[in-house]
Amino acid sequence: MPLSKAEARKIIKEALAAATFADVRVAIQAGRERNLRFANNQATTAGDVERLSISVTAIAGGRAATVTGNRRDKAGLTALVAQAEAQSALAPVDPEVMPPVPAQRYLEVDAFDAKTAALDAKGLVDVVARAVRVANRRKLVGAGIVEVGERVDVVANKAGLFAHVASTAASLTTTMRSKDGAGSGWAGAVSHRVADLDADALADVAADKCEMSQGTRELKPGRYVVLLEPQAVADLLGFLRFSMSARAADEGRSYFSKPGGGNRIGEQLFSPSITLRSDPGDAHDPSSPVGEDGLPLAPMTWVEHGVLQALPRGRFWAKTTGAPAIPRPRSLLMSGGQQTIEALITGIERGVLVTRLWYNRLLDPRTILTTGLTRDGTFAIEKGALAGPVKNMRYNESPVTLLKNAVAFGVPQRAVTRGGDVLVVPPIVADGFQFASVSDAV
Amino acid sequence: MTSSRRTFLAASSLATAGALAPGFVFAGPRRPAPNTTAPSQANALLGQSPILADEGAAKTALAAALAAGASYADVRLVKWTRERVAVRDDHIRDTDISESYGLGLRVIADGGWGFAATSSLHEKAAKEIARRAVAAAQQSARLSPKPVSLAPTAPIRGQWVSPHEIDPFSIPIRDKAELLINASRRALAIPGVEHVDAMSLAVREEKLLLTSEGSRIHQVFFRVMPGLTATAVDRRRGRFAARDHEVAPMLAGWEHVLGADFVGSAPQIGMDAVRKLHAAPVEPGPRTVILAPSNLWLTIHESVGHPTELDRALGYEANFAGTSFLHPDMTGEKRIGSDLVEIVADRTQPGGLATTAWDDEAVPAQRWPILKDGILVGWQTTRDQAAWIGETHSRGCSYADGYDSVAFQRMPNISLQPGREGYTTEDLINATDDGILISGRGSWSIDHQRYNFQFGGQFFWEIKHGRLTRPLRDVAYQANTVEFWSSCDMLGGVDTYRLGGSFQDGKGEPPQSNAVSHGCPPARFTVNVLNTGEDR
Repeated sequence: MPLSKAEARKIIKEALAAATFADVRVAIQAGRERNLRFANNQATTAGDVERLSISVTAIAGGRAATVTGNRRDKAGLTALVAQAEAQSALAPVDPEVMPPVPAQRYLEVDAFDAKTAALDAKGLVDVVARAVRVANRRKLVGAGIVEVGERVDVVANKAGLFAHVASTAASLTTTMRSKDGAGSGWAGAVSHRVADLDADALADVAADKCEMSQGTRELKPGRYVVLLEPQAVADLLGFLRFSMSARAADEGRSYFSKPGGGNRIGEQLFSPSITLRSDPGDAHDPSSPVGEDGLPLAPMTWVEHGVLQALPRGRFWAKTTGAPAIPRPRSLLMSGGQQTIEALITGIERGVLVTRLWYNRLLDPRTILTTGLTRDGTFAIEKGALAGPVKNMRYNESPVTLLKNAVAFGVPQRAVTRGGDVLVVPPIVADGFQFASVSDAV
Repeated sequence: MTSSRRTFLAASSLATAGALAPGFVFAGPRRPAPNTTAPSQANALLGQSPILADEGAAKTALAAALAAGASYADVRLVKWTRERVAVRDDHIRDTDISESYGLGLRVIADGGWGFAATSSLHEKAAKEIARRAVAAAQQSARLSPKPVSLAPTAPIRGQWVSPHEIDPFSIPIRDKAELLINASRRALAIPGVEHVDAMSLAVREEKLLLTSEGSRIHQVFFRVMPGLTATAVDRRRGRFAARDHEVAPMLAGWEHVLGADFVGSAPQIGMDAVRKLHAAPVEPGPRTVILAPSNLWLTIHESVGHPTELDRALGYEANFAGTSFLHPDMTGEKRIGSDLVEIVADRTQPGGLATTAWDDEAVPAQRWPILKDGILVGWQTTRDQAAWIGETHSRGCSYADGYDSVAFQRMPNISLQPGREGYTTEDLINATDDGILISGRGSWSIDHQRYNFQFGGQFFWEIKHGRLTRPLRDVAYQANTVEFWSSCDMLGGVDTYRLGGSFQDGKGEPPQSNAVSHGCPPARFTVNVLNTGEDR
């Protein structure tokens, strides 16, 4: 573990002892990450990085400043605290400053896997070698990255708060392309346990998609039934997630704003089949139980049977509106069904299967309209069966519309995300998904 | 204010005389600071740098790597200081100063690459990263049938400080906050504006690079980026519209923020937000557009910058950023744009965010053509890539975004050259019978081979019969890269040339950020215009 609880307590104790202000808050991130990239069926660059960052926020008389450094010795910590206090004195008064969060109880979450933390350079090469072997055997061109990391997050303050969360992460993503560049397939997986990554299986999925994606035809842009694989659902759902803010809604600048004022909590916004939860203690996909300001993250239901139940709300806005503070979650778990992707295909008369979405950007925050393109495995579906590859297309669609028009769901699966957040979503069949133009990209 | 901007504003107020006030300011379009950092100032900054105290640890890492079997090694001591001051409406929101400092070591051993980094700067940690980097390289070599080889570069001992008049870190946070709050209040004073967010970001990047070939290079870079967004809300109809200031980030000191007249132009941004809220929805369809430099820079970045990265074109970024519609085989032949389109890569450009004296492999900064008369002629390379296209030397595009990331090929400043006719922006407007003038950065998206893109903007003026007529809303333009650049039929002259840029050019896995600028004049194209609003 990059920073044990005892080591963390020592740093916190020394930093807080150096503080002259009554309100000083400290956050520490310590970690080690290792990765190996590959392309054109050979290893390219490797990385083995140790990081430490210590942030001190000093607050007095409503003036606040945060400084971050990476010296953990006593002199370094004292200097950091002194700098934070000096900068705070220079800052204007912030009327939104809230008192420190007192000591909290957190869910016990086991997200640290010792085998993942211990994987060395040889272990990384072994994972990549398996993917490259598949590429060579199938005469394809493989690229990708395997990453493992261990990290510790600490939050503490002078009011007695102390949280120490250790976690590991492992991921493998790979893209297989045909030698003539006419086909491309992708697969990826992420877990807190490296043992969950099956390099051979992932490489085979990417290779299958690559082989199947050669010889595309062009579909006319328009509205289609789509089968979005979990990664594509996650790519789009991120925008909904970031739009979820009680304050932006109450202030009239969000999809969740109610015309005339207020927010849309309690309204039926999506298909009755949609339930969105978060749960740091999920047995298969644990995530951090500590939210912003050190508030505990409890299991939450955000959307139940399509009805909006809650929006994250910061402490200042909670105080202003008299509503409870709800920290932003670090996981999002979407309800699904029992069906495999193959079974979902059999239920579609005419549609498009999408592997993943790329270069996704928000077009209009009023509707969460988003644009981006399909990539690495886009196929026509006709009469309940795959009917050949189609050219990639640009979509202009909102995750709101997707969740309104969703008609069938498969087994939820963890999608690849960066930054440690957990997104577990099902493959979704939805009506009327808008493709706006065709791309020549393979 | 430059002369071209003065005439530009005069023309736009003429064109909009009557009901509409002069509608668009290409806010903050000032020229970058000239190369004025006094040598004494630069020498003091470098000579008194605290990172020199850790040069011993860097040398230890380098020596330990060679002793452990590395055939090449470079080590960087890198210290970033970032200061962010943010305000919301009439009060401060955040003041955040962060420093990241450590040692990163890159090696070649047995023909494979290895990299290790640490934020601990003692001798033991330096030896430990050497052991880990060499072990990683030797392991990777098992999967590297083609060994890495580097194009030669002459060993350099040099130092450089990016030009600036006012060290941004010498300005107290209180002064920065006051400037932002003043600007924010002035925008909020416009009836209909309900929220304003403003911020300034100042960064200082310092690095000391040592290579096993004998180079020693010490450089310091200052970059600044102010920003302001006004949001107008119509609660009755449940609608809102946001307008961003168009000031560009720059390799410069605080003088860039002062010169951008941030406070003075804030009311205009507020008025624009309200005007956007009540603007007419755009009619979709094929249209002529004039893209202001504050919009076009990003289109250049995405549609020409990325596809001419050699590693992308050869599949090295296939898993994330993607590949390219271009291939080295097409060099000298492939037509991408009309004859007017001259695009140049330049890491020596004043104010350019990617400007440097030497890159992270000790290769001197250069200027070279990418598109000539609309035809692909050049590529972005690093030392391990030059030989892939038969070149003998690197183009100097190696960059790592911190001590903790490995250097690889990153984009230089890539810019569209101004037209020889010397047209002003109003010349372009007057020559357009039916079109849209688009300024500022909106949303942007392009496919992973850079064929199909769709961009928004900040402000949109309808053009009819050579005059600006009324603001439009919900405009995006979509095109195929080659069709887009081939349709380019009119360019502004040298006086209309401006830099735009970003601190956040993403590439690589794990992802790294590169700061890069793109200069251009306003230019005219044919595109497919979309309406992205709710009443589309």
